[in-house]
Parts: sequence; C-alpha cells; structure tokens
Amino acid sequence: MDRSAFTLPILTVAVLGTVYFSEFLTSPDKPDGKVHVKYWEKWTAFEFDAMKKVVDSFNKSQDKIQVDILSVSGIEDKTLMAISGGVPPDVVGLYGPNVTQYADNHAVIPLDDMCKAAGITRDQYIEAYWDIGVIRGKVYALPSTPATTALHYNKEMFQEVGLDPEKPPTTIQELDEAANKLTKKEANGHILRTGFLPSEPGWWNWAWGPFFGGKLYDDNGHITINSPENVRAYEWVQHFSKDYGGTALQTFKGGLGGFSSPQNAFMSNQCGMEIQGVWMYNFINMFKPTMKWAAAPFPSAGPGLENPTVVDMDVLCIPTGAKHPKEAFEFVKYVESQKGMELLCMGQKKITPLKNVSAGFIENHPNPFIKLFIKLAYSKNAVSTPKIGCWSQYNDEINNAFNAITLMQKTPQQALDEVKDRMQPIVDRYLEHLKARGEK
Amino acid sequence: MMSGGKREAKYGFLFASPWLLGFTIFMLYPLVASIYFSFCDYSVLKSPIYIGLDNYKALWGDEVFWIALKNTLMYSVIALPAGMATAIILAMLLNAKVKGMTVYRTIFFIPSLVPQVSLAVLWMFVLDGEHGILNPLLNKVLNIFHLSGPNWMTDPNWSKPALVLMSVWGVGNAMLIYLAGLQDVPAQLIEASELDGANGWQKTRHVTLPMISPVILFNGIMGIIGTLQVFTVPYIMFPNGQPVRSTYFYTEYLYDNAFRYHKMGYASAMGWIMFVMILGLTFVSVKMSEKHVHYQGS
Amino acid sequence: MNKQQAHTAQRILVQVALVVLSAIFLVPFLWLLTTALKPIKETMTVPIQWIPSKLMWGNFKDAVTAGHETVGYYPFLVYFRNTVVLCVLIVAGTVASNALVAYSFARLRWPGRDFAFSVTIATMMIPFPVLMVPTFALFRHLDWIGTYRPLWVPAWFGSAFSIFLLRQFFMTIPFELSEAAKIDGASEWRIFRSIVLPLSKAALAVVALFAFMGAWNDFLGPLIYLLDQKTFTLSLGLQFYQSQNGGTQWNLLMAASTIIIAPVIILFFFTQRLFIQGIAITGLKG
Repeated sequence: MDRSAFTLPILTVAVLGTVYFSEFLTSPDKPDGKVHVKYWEKWTAFEFDAMKKVVDSFNKSQDKIQVDILSVSGIEDKTLMAISGGVPPDVVGLYGPNVTQYADNHAVIPLDDMCKAAGITRDQYIEAYWDIGVIRGKVYALPSTPATTALHYNKEMFQEVGLDPEKPPTTIQELDEAANKLTKKEANGHILRTGFLPSEPGWWNWAWGPFFGGKLYDDNGHITINSPENVRAYEWVQHFSKDYGGTALQTFKGGLGGFSSPQNAFMSNQCGMEIQGVWMYNFINMFKPTMKWAAAPFPSAGPGLENPTVVDMDVLCIPTGAKHPKEAFEFVKYVESQKGMELLCMGQKKITPLKNVSAGFIENHPNPFIKLFIKLAYSKNAVSTPKIGCWSQYNDEINNAFNAITLMQKTPQQALDEVKDRMQPIVDRYLEHLKARGEK
Repeated sequence: MMSGGKREAKYGFLFASPWLLGFTIFMLYPLVASIYFSFCDYSVLKSPIYIGLDNYKALWGDEVFWIALKNTLMYSVIALPAGMATAIILAMLLNAKVKGMTVYRTIFFIPSLVPQVSLAVLWMFVLDGEHGILNPLLNKVLNIFHLSGPNWMTDPNWSKPALVLMSVWGVGNAMLIYLAGLQDVPAQLIEASELDGANGWQKTRHVTLPMISPVILFNGIMGIIGTLQVFTVPYIMFPNGQPVRSTYFYTEYLYDNAFRYHKMGYASAMGWIMFVMILGLTFVSVKMSEKHVHYQGS
Repeated sequence: MNKQQAHTAQRILVQVALVVLSAIFLVPFLWLLTTALKPIKETMTVPIQWIPSKLMWGNFKDAVTAGHETVGYYPFLVYFRNTVVLCVLIVAGTVASNALVAYSFARLRWPGRDFAFSVTIATMMIPFPVLMVPTFALFRHLDWIGTYRPLWVPAWFGSAFSIFLLRQFFMTIPFELSEAAKIDGASEWRIFRSIVLPLSKAALAVVALFAFMGAWNDFLGPLIYLLDQKTFTLSLGLQFYQSQNGGTQWNLLMAASTIIIAPVIILFFFTQRLFIQGIAITGLKG
C-alpha cells in the first residue's frame, strides 16, 4: 500500500472537519434554559455601553430571558437583509426614518396590542417622539433615544473676533454675519477656518428646507422638494460655498476629520458654528474637554420659524419572523420604563422621550444645555423625516443634490427640480404597488 | 459488460456531474429566474407580482440608471486600454534581458495581489487631498508648471481618474500573462525582422504585437467583463458614488436597488441588461479581432 | 551610433525605466508600512511625514485586538480564522470538482460534450450581478442566509474558468498513457487518480492559488450573506472597521490592511515559480 492511498481519505476527513467547524462558527448558541433574545443595535463605543448597561440590568432582574446585544453596522440594510433572509434578530434598534419603509414592507410587527397590555400609551411621551413610530395609525416602533438639534458655537472664537459669546445669532442674517466674521482665509484663498459649514456634520441635509418653512412631502403622494421655501433654503446653503470659494472649500473639506475624532471640524477649531445634537456635549468632553462652547436654538429663517430643530429618534422594533417576539417585548417594556429609559438616556447623555422625568435627571445631567434640548422637543417648528417607504432613496437623492449644490455644480432650483423629477415617478410607482397589494 | 464507448460516456457524465448540476442550479436557474423577476415587482419579503415591462420602462426613464451606466462605460473605456497598454509595456520591458528581472517582476506583480478592500483603504489614504502622499509627490513635478495635484477624492472630475490610477497599479497579473506570451514569440521572427532593418517600434508593431494578439484578445474580453462589473473598490472609497455620483457604478446601483431599496425586480432587469451588453461587446470584439488576431501556426 | 552602441543605449534606457517604474509602484506599499507604524498624530501632519518618530509595533497588536472589550468590534484574529476556514473549503472544493470536470471534458468522450464545453466558456460572460438576486432568493429558500454555505458550497460544483484552465492542461498529457492503462484493465477513476493527477500537480496548484486569492479577496459575497459580525471575513471586517463613525485611525487601518495583505504576499513568495510556470503551462496565453 503506497502512501498516496492515504492522501484522499485524509483530505476528506480534513475537509469534513472544516465543514463541521464552519457550521459551528455560524450556529446559534447552546441552550441554557433561558430564552435568548437576539438584539441588534447600531451603536458602538460608549453609546453601545450605555445600552449594554440596560441590557445587563434587565438580564439580572429576572432569569427567564437573556438579551444578547450585538453591534451591527449598516443596520438598516443588514436587518432588512436578515429579515428577507429569514434570520432576523428578535429586537432591533433602527433609526426613526427607517420605520415607514419597514412597516410598508411588513418587515416589523405592529406593537399596539402588546403596548396596551403593558400599559404603554402615547400621553406618557413627548408627542413628537411617539408619533415617529406610528405609521398609518399603528405603532411599529417605540422610542429608544431621542434627539433634538441646536446651534453649537465656539465661545472663544466668538470673543476672538469681537462677537458676544453670550449672544448667539437668533436669525439667519445674524448667523451669516457671524460666520463671515469667524471665517479666516489666507491671501491665496486657502481656508484656515470656516464660520459655519452646512455640510457639517451632513446628517440632516434634508432638514434645511423644513427649517425655512418648506415641506418635503405633502402626505398625499406629492414630492415637494422644489417648493420656493426649499429652494430659498438651499440657496442659503449654496451662498457659503460661493463665499468660501469652490476649490478652496473642497480642499478644506478634504482635510476635515470624521465626526468622532479629534479632527472633527468643530472640535478642532476649524469650524466656528455647526448644527448638532444633544449628544455633542459628550463627544466634546471626550475629544476636547477644554473647549469653551455653548448651544442655542438654531437661528430662525423668518417670522413663525423660530426654534427650528430636527426631532429624530432611535427606535426599537420587533422584526417579522422574530423567534421570540413576546420575550423581546418584555425587554422593550423594560427599556420604556422610566428607570430603563433614564439609565439609557443618561448613559448616552441625551434627553428622555418620556414626559415624566424623575427628580434629579435634569439637575444631575452633565450636559449644561439639557433644558434647552428638552424645550426644543416641544417646538412647533420641530421637523422630522417624511413618512414614505422610499425614504432611503429620496434621502440619497437629496444628499446627492446637496452635494451638487455645495460644489456649485448646479443651482438649487435645478438640483431640486431634478430630485422632484426623479422621485415623483418612483413615489407614484411605490404607492401604486402598495395599493396593488391591498395596503394604504 | 458495457461497451467501451458506453462505459466511457457514463464516466464522462459522472465526472462532469458537479458542473452539470452546478451550472443548472447556480447559473441556468438564476438566469431564467432573473428574467422572470425582471418582469415583476419583487422584494423577497413579498412574493413577485407580474408587472410586465414596467421595470424596463422605468429604467429607460431613470436618470440615475443612465448616470450609473455612463460612469461605468466611461471608466471602462479609459481603464481597459490604460491597463492593457501598461501591462504590455511592462511586459516588454521585463522581456528585455536585463539584470534583476525577477525583482522587478515581483515588484510589479505584488500590487495585483492586494485584496480589494485593503486596496481601497490604502488608496483612500494615498489620495487624500491634505494628508496623502500622491499629491506632495506629484506637486514636486507639477509645481514647476504652476499646477498642483487635484483633489482626487472630492473633485468629481478626478474621482474616476483616481480609480483608473488604482487599476493600473494592479495590472501585475495581466502583465505576467503578456510576459508569458512574449516569451513564446519565436526568436527567429524577431531576428529576421532585425535583419530586414526594422527598428524597435516597427518590430513591435509588425512582429511582437501580432504574435501576442490572441493574448490581447483574451485579456481584452476578460477585461471588458471585469471592468463593467466593478464594485468593491468604489463602494468602499466613495460611498454612494460621491462626489456627486461621479463614481456611482452600475453594479452598485444594482446592489442598492436589490438590497437597500428592496426593488429586486428592478435590480434583476438591470442585471439582464448588463448581461446583454457584455454578450454584445464580446461578440463585437471577436468579430473585430478576426482581422487582427494571428494564431501561431496559421 | 553603431549597432552595438544603440543596443547598449537601449539597455540602459530599459534599466532606467524599470527602476523608475518600480519606485513608483513601490511607493504605496512604503506608505502603507510607514503609516502602520506611526503614532496617530503623525498620520495627519501637513506636510506629510515619511518616517515615523518611533516605530509603533504595538499598532499591529492594537489593530488585531481592537475594541475587544469596548464592544463593537471583534478582533481581527477572529476574522482571520473565519477567512481561513472559508478558504480551505473553497480551495478544496474548487480543486476537487474542477479536476473531475475538466478531466471529463478533456479525456472522456460523451455525447454533447463539445456543446457543453462551449456553453461552459459562454458562462464566463455571465456577470455576477445578474445572478445575485435569484441566488439570494434561492439561499433564502434553503435557509442558508447568515451561514457560510452560500460562499463555499457552489465552489464544489465547478467553475468555468478553472475548467477551462485544467482542460487545456489535461489535453497535453499524452493519450497513450490512458490507452495503455485501459488495456491493462484500469478503470477511469484509476487512470484519473494514479496517472493524470500526479502529472498535473503544477496546474492544480495554479487553480488552487487562484481559488485562494479569490476567496481571500471576496467582498460582495460575504457582504450579502454574512450578517453576524462574529462570522465576518477579513474583507468585511476591514470595511466594517473603516466605515464606523469612530474617526479614521489611519495608522490602525493601515496596520490591519497590512495584516490582510501579508499572507497573500508571503504565499506568493513561496509559490512564485509555480505560479509563473502554471500560467505558461495552462496555455492562458494562447
């Protein structure tokens, strides 16, 4: 018997062994008597830790259910893939704007009955937040961490250029003037720092129109991105590019760091003012604790448009096809309780969506401007994303237009008209298909 | 006892069965299903509903579709010839018997081994407008002419050239194939042409290139198929095809439609259009090459 | 200038060109390595700094074990292990299945064989995107999403390119050898296993090499089919690491990239000859 007679059997065994191992790597965990609830969350680092504390607290508080939390990137896409792949998590932390698409696609289950049984009702919450999770009258998502946005500005820079650090701009014109004073350029046009950059952080490019009184969608099937108010908003956005100089601005932007880094435009003193959310305080503390900054309501674009803010929310949903929806809801209920919610929101240094705030939450909150952010949540000019299922695509289009506008490749009217021309047929078809399936 | 022929046929099918099965399950079925899906509204979460030519009509009027197509074609039209020319030139340089050929060969080849993701991440940093090295190095030369390196990552006019640059860096494996082909060119032919007084360029044009024309054709076709499908590098380096969709390529739009907007019928239609395009281009290449490709022994 | 001088001049020109081009080709690698070894501050300096002030070998360790405690990330070693497992399965499947199939096309006669081969070649023109959606739906049906199966099982069913390569090669082995063995009463399997295969080590190695590179490199496949972070492959892991909002830690990113590139390059150094030989043998050029 020659040696080579053994090679094939050995190889076969090796391969089979590897197959077994590969299955082991992707198989679910072994049973331990508890129901394991798979929870996918979008957060990382300290925000993830905050939720993990809540998860741990829940797991310790009883011994029937164990929640296993996992940080997932690109969660809105991955979850949809998992749901269509038949392997969804039991509870998932999505972004508020995703809810409509998920609801339309039957990707998440309505929670009304479970909420009623658990005594969770709308009037316990700041209305703006509760409503984000309600699609066509049904509750598809419950709030996890809420957000409002405000103008953040660098007090030291204000002083340096002769602006009163206690008197932030309250109108758009004042903002423009302040931005002008704060901007520093070299003789050859090279930008050293900008007063205000509408593209920082670039997460709410859709919000400028609503800040100026425009609407993105009329809830009746019409895309209204190119309405006069919206055009006016983006013309305002574009004027910054014009003032700073196109190529100079590009070079400048290319050198800015990511949001969560010491090279963040605002934190590295490269940008004097920017629109940011309630969590910003925490990031400043991490990366530039010596910075002297303040938050104020975003300047108004005109009468009746005071205190504009983006009201956004992270939500918890239960996917269709989840193996343990009831146990998942037990966990959600815990998060929605005052105790769970405050543990979470304090951990992420945000406000809480619940109306009832326990004594000390506000007083002990490290964010010095927490009261402002709470007040903004009640503003009548609070804006949130329109509730259409094709929001993902609409947002991509708006971002693309925003890009073209800030690069001065198109006029705002052109860019927005194009978005409307492209999205209207898509929305029409989307709604048609919904109707064909008996929805709406 | 079966006749030799029948026995051989039986084994023939048996040995070929993995592929026969695989082809049917992983190629034929998806290809046919894909055509069916392209006529449906389909999102895996919901079952397909027949909607006739709706998807195709929508594609025709979809500006983003045309942008993605245009971007892909523009990229291919430049990247392919640039890559081939570079690979052939490098191969010819290596073919000249100079010292240290193995070292050079290795240096040119290794970049083509770099995994796509690492490639994207590495070049994101190399091309960075403010902190990368490409511009400072380029500027040493360009500044003489009062020019300076462009903003590769943020200027829509330079984002595609950036990608072309990267693909040229990775021509190593094509270069090896051309090198092997060059080494096959009979020495007598070259010597004969030299005796006839041919200079370097003439030798190349009338002897070398024709002799390796089959290789060129093969690589060209594989190249067309490859560049039209480009996905990983642009996806990572330029999320969403920014700036201003200049790097939004066909496959990425297909992927977005399938897995982000959940319009799988629409994506299937796009897939079929791409397939037909490739068939067409391949056919045209083969037809056009009939005049120019010489096979040894003919 | 006489012929001799012209020749020398030409050779010098070629040498110079080679040196310059090599330098250009090497620059990104040098940048990769020097950045991987820098402390974070020095990666963002203007004007750029080439040599790190101190060699932070620790960056490699950090990249490999990053965030293990501060949840969010899994260590790169996990991704490394996953990728290796997958590669083993894919390479084994590719070599095994394609050897069989190519042998059938090259040395066995059966009705419809040549037509089947033309169709096989034609499939090389089918772009992956057109198969993407139905294949996903198929695997969904089988409940294979989230596992490694969609990534390695198809490898056991052959692929056009490898079939093409191996067939070319198998046809160069003299048919007399098979004939002689058949007269001696050997079965087709015996001929395949004991005569043809041993003579084909180089060609098989090339197929294995290509398969390994493809598997190591693959991004789109894992992107679609792998959901749980702890199952990610290196490609997916690196992209996940890079796409996090957590600031661009260029030095760690480059360190991680180096870790992914290194095995491939090391493998190449050991198999260079094989590789080049393989390309020649399999007649890719013609």
